[in-house]
Amino acid sequence: CTNDFLDTQMKTGSSEENFYKTTDDAYKALVGCYDGLQVVWASGISLPVAAEVMSDNTFGGTGNSDGFGYQMIDEFDKGRSPSDQDLFGDNWSAYYKAVYRCNMFIGKMDQIDWKGNTDLKNTYLAETRFLRAYLYFDMVRLWGNIPLLTAPSSENVPQASPEEVYKLIAEDLKFAADNLPAVAYGAQSVANHGRVTKYAAEALIGRVYLYYTGYYGKPDLAGVVAKVDALAYQEDIINNGGYGLVDKFEYLWPYSLNNYAGEDNKETIFAIKYTYTSDYNGNTDGNHWMVMNGIREQWSYPYGNGWGACTVDPKLWAAYSDKDTRRAGSIISIAGEGINFTNQSKQREYTGLYQKKYIPLVDAAGNSIAVSSGGVNFMVGQFQDYVSIRYADVLLMAAELGSSKAQKYFDDVRKRAYGSNFVSVAVNAANLLNERRLEFAGEGIRYWDLLRQGVDVAAATIAQTTDVLNGGIKTTKTINSANITTTKGLQQIPNTQITLSNGVLKQNAGW
Amino acid sequence: HYAFAQSARKITGKVIDDKDLQPIPGAIIKVKGTSEAVSTNTDGEFTIQAKTGDVLVISFLGYIERSVTVGAGNAYNIKLAETEKSLEEVVVIGYGVQKKKLNTGANLQVKGEDIQKQNTTNVLQALQGQTPGVQITSVSGQPGDALSVIIRGKGTISGSGPLYVVDGVQTGDISYLNPADIESVDVLKDGASAAIYGSQSANGVVLVTTKGGKSGQKSQITFDAYFGQQRLANQARLLNSKEYATIMNEAAINSGKQPYFTNDGISSMGTGTNWLGQMFVDQAPTQNYSFGASGGSDVSSYSASLAYTSQQGIVGGKDLSNYERYNIRINSDHKLYKDIVTLGENLTFAYVNNNGIGVGNQYNNTLRNAFNTSPFVQMYDEDGNFFDNSNSDWNNGEANPYAQMYYNNQNRNNNQRLLGNLYLGVEPIKGLRFRTSLGLDYTASEGRSYLPIYKLSIYSFNDNTNVFQGMNKGRALTWDNQVNYSFKLNSYNNFEVMAGTSAYSTDGSGVNASNKDLSMTGLDYAWLDNATNSEGARMSTGGYPYAQQKRMSYFGRVMYNYKEKYLLNATFRADGSSILAPGHRWNFFPSVSGGWVMTNEDFMKNTSWLNFLKLRASWGRTGNQNISPYQYLAPITSSNTNYTFGNAEGTLTPGAYPSRLNNENLTWETSEQSDIGFDATVLNNKLTINADFYIKTTKDWLIQAPILASAGADAPFINGGNVKNSGVELALTYRNHAGSLNYSIGVNGAYNKNKVGAIPTADGIIHGNTNSLYNNSGEFYRAENGMPIGYFWGLKTNGVFQTEEEVNAYKNKNGQKIQPTAQPGDVRYVDYNGDGSIDANDKTMIGNPNPDFTYGFNLAADYKGFDISLQASGVVGNEIVQSWRNQADSKANYSAAILDRWHGAGSSYTTPRVTEDNRNWTQFSDLYIHKGDYLRINNLTLGYDFGTLAKKSYLSKVRLYCSVLNLYTFTSYNGMDPEIGYGEGFSQGVDLGYYPRPRTIMLGANIKF
Repeated sequence: CTNDFLDTQMKTGSSEENFYKTTDDAYKALVGCYDGLQVVWASGISLPVAAEVMSDNTFGGTGNSDGFGYQMIDEFDKGRSPSDQDLFGDNWSAYYKAVYRCNMFIGKMDQIDWKGNTDLKNTYLAETRFLRAYLYFDMVRLWGNIPLLTAPSSENVPQASPEEVYKLIAEDLKFAADNLPAVAYGAQSVANHGRVTKYAAEALIGRVYLYYTGYYGKPDLAGVVAKVDALAYQEDIINNGGYGLVDKFEYLWPYSLNNYAGEDNKETIFAIKYTYTSDYNGNTDGNHWMVMNGIREQWSYPYGNGWGACTVDPKLWAAYSDKDTRRAGSIISIAGEGINFTNQSKQREYTGLYQKKYIPLVDAAGNSIAVSSGGVNFMVGQFQDYVSIRYADVLLMAAELGSSKAQKYFDDVRKRAYGSNFVSVAVNAANLLNERRLEFAGEGIRYWDLLRQGVDVAAATIAQTTDVLNGGIKTTKTINSANITTTKGLQQIPNTQITLSNGVLKQNAGW
Repeated sequence: HYAFAQSARKITGKVIDDKDLQPIPGAIIKVKGTSEAVSTNTDGEFTIQAKTGDVLVISFLGYIERSVTVGAGNAYNIKLAETEKSLEEVVVIGYGVQKKKLNTGANLQVKGEDIQKQNTTNVLQALQGQTPGVQITSVSGQPGDALSVIIRGKGTISGSGPLYVVDGVQTGDISYLNPADIESVDVLKDGASAAIYGSQSANGVVLVTTKGGKSGQKSQITFDAYFGQQRLANQARLLNSKEYATIMNEAAINSGKQPYFTNDGISSMGTGTNWLGQMFVDQAPTQNYSFGASGGSDVSSYSASLAYTSQQGIVGGKDLSNYERYNIRINSDHKLYKDIVTLGENLTFAYVNNNGIGVGNQYNNTLRNAFNTSPFVQMYDEDGNFFDNSNSDWNNGEANPYAQMYYNNQNRNNNQRLLGNLYLGVEPIKGLRFRTSLGLDYTASEGRSYLPIYKLSIYSFNDNTNVFQGMNKGRALTWDNQVNYSFKLNSYNNFEVMAGTSAYSTDGSGVNASNKDLSMTGLDYAWLDNATNSEGARMSTGGYPYAQQKRMSYFGRVMYNYKEKYLLNATFRADGSSILAPGHRWNFFPSVSGGWVMTNEDFMKNTSWLNFLKLRASWGRTGNQNISPYQYLAPITSSNTNYTFGNAEGTLTPGAYPSRLNNENLTWETSEQSDIGFDATVLNNKLTINADFYIKTTKDWLIQAPILASAGADAPFINGGNVKNSGVELALTYRNHAGSLNYSIGVNGAYNKNKVGAIPTADGIIHGNTNSLYNNSGEFYRAENGMPIGYFWGLKTNGVFQTEEEVNAYKNKNGQKIQPTAQPGDVRYVDYNGDGSIDANDKTMIGNPNPDFTYGFNLAADYKGFDISLQASGVVGNEIVQSWRNQADSKANYSAAILDRWHGAGSSYTTPRVTEDNRNWTQFSDLYIHKGDYLRINNLTLGYDFGTLAKKSYLSKVRLYCSVLNLYTFTSYNGMDPEIGYGEGFSQGVDLGYYPRPRTIMLGANIKF
């Protein structure tokens, strides 16, 4: 009876022992996996921001008395901020936490009572495997050499070869593409927007295929997906997905205010969704990273203030034709838009140009839209979704993969950009990559497009010596191509993890 | 002969207690050198035959013997002083009491009156300096805040506080107690003494006994009161406007910029706002009124009290930082049937109102804002409202720290505590006693807060009024049963055996909610009903049960002595706990201790200088399971786990995931301690000496050791890591009198060494928190094999580069510069590992937060109604980390210490130059480390008892006194208070802008009827 006396019961929450039983549990577990993806950039440095900084689109920027972490990323130079040994530490942890949720759920699939509904099981499994693939694809691109866990484990797992990682990614995505129902955009329930679709999986296969075969110089995607398959997936989206391009380029982005096409519009293949309910009591649903891109501590309607990261390289501005609506659609020109910016003294690597697609917004009186919608503040309250894959990308990937309609797809994207000024140019590899730069500037895509042309090409493109204004003082900015080739374009593995592994994890070269 | 002419005559007199002036019946009066001896009657009076020049020797058990020379007079009133350390005294031990001279453990007792003399709000604070081996440190100087109590060195990185047992009821906190209610506090320091409390006692045990009545004692009424004014003892100095502008200019120039201010501009500046000065109030009252009554008949005795205590905070004053407590206590004891059946209870009720400012980490530390705000910001605007700095052209991100304190600390909290027990004792035959007691520790608390709309800077604003309300209640029940039997075998072998059981169970629940948009504004109207918002996403609610804890225990003890010469005690306890997984719940805690009273040996009989000597040795095992329940399970987390599908912002779909790994093998943290020591009294009982040497090893820590992130979930609690504390304690007390002057001197000290081992992580380290010292700061403390717990980990520095040549000359073996980017004025780091460059591998121990030595002393004297006492305490050998400034901010204000910075060759060899990126401060180095040694005069009191003048039979004492608390602190630390109990995680001594202890000047009265 003494032992009975000592038995107590947990009365709030449940434990692993009594979870993963019903389809209701399964849905909660699935949402838990989506939540895992939602928070990977809640602290640390977000991949969309880091990818822009690493690319030739933008500089690190940030505040003039901030640490030099963003410069370290931008210049692939540990010496720029030797004390930053864990810049991506929070992200590394958050990615593995999200992977763990997926692995755990995948492992429990068979113990759930599906009541004979195999379709439901396969749908949930497919969504979860997509999410796992999405997470690993981010990780393996950023760090290159990562431990690969396909089931929960607290062992000291050494880094896997990239090929193994890509094989898992490819298999997961293929499973998702083959098992999710083919429901065209128009037939999808609005309430379900944001869920992984067959077409999202197919599009991501295209992206992974192009990156893996390009960066690693391989003939196919880890033996799982051949080029012809990758193309077929893209054509399936184009022919059966029901997606389309939004009429005008600027309508894709919230700064277009009343003309904004809205979230989950017909061009959104997959987005990480955010809302304004983040707070400091554990609610983490918001876009915590967009504040980095805002103009440094100053607003100018409709642009809200932020921390001034990702100052745009004037070379990007110059790369656009003045007939291309995407120039003003992607970049804020302080002078061009007549903004009275007075905070040069607080801005590092000022160029007079800021990102425009992912920035906080304010109303005419300067009040944060995020806050007036219910957010705690302009930092964590931002709610703009991160549109990871747009239909325009699918068109350009299909063209790049050798579609017989390559010229049409290419022209479709460019027609929207140039409107009545459209003049057709021939579709070829160089033109496609250039167009991708112009189309996706600020969306965290350019850097990977550079790397997949080879580290040397990327290094040569990104490296430069130029002048920027640090706190209003003209300063020379140098990005050394040797740093990019040494690091192979990869970033630092968090030092804390290497220490914790007692050296089982190896740091990437150059870090 | 002169004496020959004298003849014996009748001398009369009265023997009274020097404290309460009550007669002492039965005292023995002898004429020295003769056989003449008498004893006093019930009124303390005596008559004896003696002649002038004879010496009367007056003695009584428990009192210091006195000699009085007969002079011309025939009547003598003789006061005897109690021997407070008298060996006939009993000390409180676990589940019982024991004669002090037979005790074989290392425990110490502090009498209630020695606590009451300190006039502190909190009992624990009064113990400072009176308890060798017990380090008591304020966690903050805010009224009502906790004290950190560490007995014989930190034994674990989680929960290193002791177990408190009040009148037999176990509890975790005794801040509710009114010091006037304390009869005694006994601290069980060694493993053998503590082991009877098994699983709760690894960090030592503090036994508190509240005052009880004595049967046959006449009724006595006491009234004690004091009133004091508190103020800041020592204000840190920050830069004024001129200094600040000068430093900002210099930082700009050193960073390659133009200066911000012209020389003319600087010279026309005033001093600006002294923000620290604004945060403190000049006078913060504290007061206490205690009314007590006690007495007893043959069958019943009682002691009751009523008290009010209040203490305002010196930061912000009553509205923002305040503590107020009402206490009611009733203890009584009744003989229900002859001497066989007794029934009684001890009950204390406390009602506490308190509200306070943030004294936590860098983001929750109200004072810290004042350290960081520039003197340019104004307190008020032209209309007398708090200044809104949003339009500042200097730094529109900084905000009036006083206004931030005012707006963000609109809160009122109260809690109630009922702690006590009801007991029944039966003694059917002499020596055999049963006792059962039911203990209750009931708490209820309530709090609410209000956040107004305000705007102070572009980052410090609030757009919607907010109200929070929360309530909790909980109880812990303890049911103890025990049987004692004392008996003798052939009159020399004395036994006392005890066996018992204890069952413990907790329960409780809480609710809270917050909402926005109040229909009426102000803290008075901050109730949920006044909130008008109805959008779910803008409100929050919570309701939860306390995770239940249960424990079941069986214990026993044998106490044996042979002629009070050879002593042996052994205890055993078996504890089961619901916190651990089935199969790992039970553990056993044995102890054994022995003593040898050498002075009871025949061969020591003639050693006249040595009155008493007892050698002791002990060993005991104790345990700790101080983690929250269900750690052995892997919980499914569903709170804050949402995704937002669809197009409606703010609409959340709930999810769930397993958030922590499980560990079903989780078991007890245990501590084993060996102790040897001695207690002695010498010099005619005037000097007592207690000394101890101990080795305490705490192993199988319950820790959430960091795991690889690839595990994907939070780390489980595991058993691992140990720490060895070894040390020496010594306490000396000397009491004597010269004529009517009685005096005593007490000195005590403890040396402790702390060493960690067997950390179960791959690198043998438990890493401390980051982001603690300033925004995004790195790791600065660790627990690591071979090092003291929580040691400070950083770079050693070796001065400041004076010239370019010195930078260039600082080369490694390969001729490369060790600090290639350094410039004159930058700090020179030590290449500790000799690899030719400065990085994290050069970090090492640069400070130890654990003092080597803690000590205290007290002096007391009284003379004809006057009394004076002084109490002091100190620590030696610890280091403090001072981090007042947010180094991520180029424009944060500096303390005046920066005026010693390098600004040209030869200008400073210790403080580096200023730069806008704060490069000399963004690596944790010994620039942050300060010596923590201090000696504090805690209390100086001067009193006079008018009771002897009044000569009213009903008024035995009317003492008035004045006291100064925290009179002076001797220290080289340049902060406002060197006693910094605050720490992050398992660190301590971290000054992020510490709320200092006030200096208090008070007047008081003790009246006894």
